[in-house]
Amino acid sequence: MEAIKDALNFSDFSRAERISLIIFSLFLLIFPLLGAGSFTKTVMIQFLLFSLFGMGWNTIGGYGGQVELGKAQYVGIGAYTVALMMVWWKIPFWFSMPVGVLIALGYSFIIGYPLFRLKGHYFAIATICTSLVLKDIFDNWTLVGAAKGIELPIHEHPDFVYMQFKSDTYYYYFIMVLFYIGLFYMNWFRKSKLGYQLRMIKDDEDAAESLGIDIRWCKIKAYSIASAFVAVGGGFMAVYNLYIDPTSVMELSLSIKIALMAMLGGAASLWGPIIGAAFLVPLDRFLGSWLGGYKGLIGVDFMIYAALIMVVSAYQPRGIWGIIEQLRKRGS
Amino acid sequence: MKSHRWILMFFLVFMGSLLILPCAFADEKEIKIGVLYPLSGAAAAIGRDLQRAAELTADIINNGAPGVDIPMAQWKGIPNLGGAKIKLIFADHRGEPDRGADLAKRLILDDKVVGLMGAYHSSVTKTVSAVAERYGIPMINDSSTSPALTQRGFKWFWRATPHDEMFNKDLFELLKGLTEGKVKGVKAVPKKELQNLAYACENTEFGSSVAKSIENYAKEYGFNIVTKLLYSANAPDLTSEAKALVAAKPDAMLFTSYLSDALLMIRTLKGMKAQTKFFWGQDAGFEMADFAKTLGTDIDGVLTRTVFIAKVTKVKKVAGQINAIYKKKYGDDLTGATARSVVGVQTWAYALNQAKSTDPKAIQKACNELNIPAQELVMPWAGVKFDETGQNILGRGLIGQYQKKSDGKIDLEIVYPFELATANFIYPFPGWK
Repeated sequence: MEAIKDALNFSDFSRAERISLIIFSLFLLIFPLLGAGSFTKTVMIQFLLFSLFGMGWNTIGGYGGQVELGKAQYVGIGAYTVALMMVWWKIPFWFSMPVGVLIALGYSFIIGYPLFRLKGHYFAIATICTSLVLKDIFDNWTLVGAAKGIELPIHEHPDFVYMQFKSDTYYYYFIMVLFYIGLFYMNWFRKSKLGYQLRMIKDDEDAAESLGIDIRWCKIKAYSIASAFVAVGGGFMAVYNLYIDPTSVMELSLSIKIALMAMLGGAASLWGPIIGAAFLVPLDRFLGSWLGGYKGLIGVDFMIYAALIMVVSAYQPRGIWGIIEQLRKRGS
Repeated sequence: MKSHRWILMFFLVFMGSLLILPCAFADEKEIKIGVLYPLSGAAAAIGRDLQRAAELTADIINNGAPGVDIPMAQWKGIPNLGGAKIKLIFADHRGEPDRGADLAKRLILDDKVVGLMGAYHSSVTKTVSAVAERYGIPMINDSSTSPALTQRGFKWFWRATPHDEMFNKDLFELLKGLTEGKVKGVKAVPKKELQNLAYACENTEFGSSVAKSIENYAKEYGFNIVTKLLYSANAPDLTSEAKALVAAKPDAMLFTSYLSDALLMIRTLKGMKAQTKFFWGQDAGFEMADFAKTLGTDIDGVLTRTVFIAKVTKVKKVAGQINAIYKKKYGDDLTGATARSVVGVQTWAYALNQAKSTDPKAIQKACNELNIPAQELVMPWAGVKFDETGQNILGRGLIGQYQKKSDGKIDLEIVYPFELATANFIYPFPGWK
């Protein structure tokens, strides 16, 4: 009960932040009614999905300060569990998704235990490696479709049990609900014992250890929470795209994208991953589609994308949220 | 009073024109077709070539091409739709299946296209065609060759190109032909000299399904596979893969690669002075214009599976005429990929003309009943006719060999089917000194 209260309690944020959250929530709620095009809707779905991924990454990468670049493997586990259970045994999404999350949790404990013997760059490299190894296994494992991937059967009529809808509006509201569950959880998490312990570990591991914090165990727990978050998103990707292969759900570029969005938005802040996704997802999708497809200026979107990332990170390493806070301080 | 009359006249003329103009423009109606290609990313070079070929074909249909002797080049629009022009709306999927699906939704729901074409990568074609199937919008695929695409029971998906199963069979027919002395300019090679095969295929949908098919045919035709490699087409380095191939000392090396990885693989193998007797690539990277341009004489003796070789233009009039326009405009000959893009747009035009409507159901019926005669295609095919799975049953593949000519230039000669061979086969593969 206390935890739910904590999750819903945003009173430690400034008035401006709370008002922004309300306006933003109202916007999300009525967005499909605003008559936006279908492409805008797909962009919004991607934004909510990557916000969810980013929030997950933020536990270990932001609050815990561990540079984690292997989240795609857990996206893959979530996606493959849903797809395979649906294709092999026709198991509904509502059952297969939690199973995917449990598998991701279990796997993250197994991987996390040896991984957190490493620190800094070595840890980052190890996370990349584990993800690449898993992708290679899936690329060659015929039982799970190997590199050909898995195609989910198309249901002609809307099917809530298997999460198949013709209209993206349903998917939009579903991912929005997941987004809010993630947001409330993170609001609780940052105020939880583990949240404080992680911040302490980030600031000074030796000091944290001297206070009796089990550093490795804390990191493993945060790593597993992050994995569960992205596995939920992975499950969603499977039913939304109706096709997954190791390249689309386990690629290194996906891991980097997840970390990049959270870092650019502002790691270790509740709003950071959301701001990062709100900034990068539309930039990537709209610019790519507009410049590459309509205008024939192929590749220009990559340049703009890269330049913006460089400018933000050079100006304020704490990301966009860092810039906002800086401006606010100057204002007051 | 007079001025009032003028104003009234002007008003009437204006109102009248508002009524008449839409009728005048009705003849100039546009039919939008969404085309998804990889215009950026690793396959950008191929994607842009495909885009050019599609644009050129749409231009031939819309504005006519006096020197091309097929009815389509005189149409100036779709005849049965009041001369309506085809407008292609391109979308760049970068080779990413989820991006392809999102763009397909944009094309269908926002741009209101009549149908879709593309998407080159079989993995992207899977998600794009799934979107088309959900919305009941026709999709004609021009160049994705994964056999699985037409084995899904889709009602809104048709594929003009032959698929990899057909092409891989051609490869083994050529190998068999070599052992039986059927190949032009080569005496029968004892089978034991060609017994051991090795493959390296890129690891997406395209490469992995070719790999599987090669394994099946090797068993059927009695060959051994000594090395099996799947690699990432985006890999910055292929040294370990090349080393594994060289170490296995296979009689034949078989590849499935996109452009950048094909170039990297050959350069790496050249650096190792790799030796083999038979060097074959499964289309894609191996037959792009940039492949020969970049590697020059290093590819003397390299074989590529394709569906179109510039030499076809010498034996097929319409191929020569359209190729001449393409070459004049872009400086390159048509390739297997670009020629299929031409056929893709052409198939769309014929389907629309036969449907006499842009209603999806009418187009679906037209596609199922379509029969484009061989003489109207740039391809050396028997025509375009779809079976109940949506697969064109009249397509066929070619195998070409890059050969160094006396002037030092590289030319692609037809070596399979044997009856179409335009030059003696170079055997064994000369390799790199």
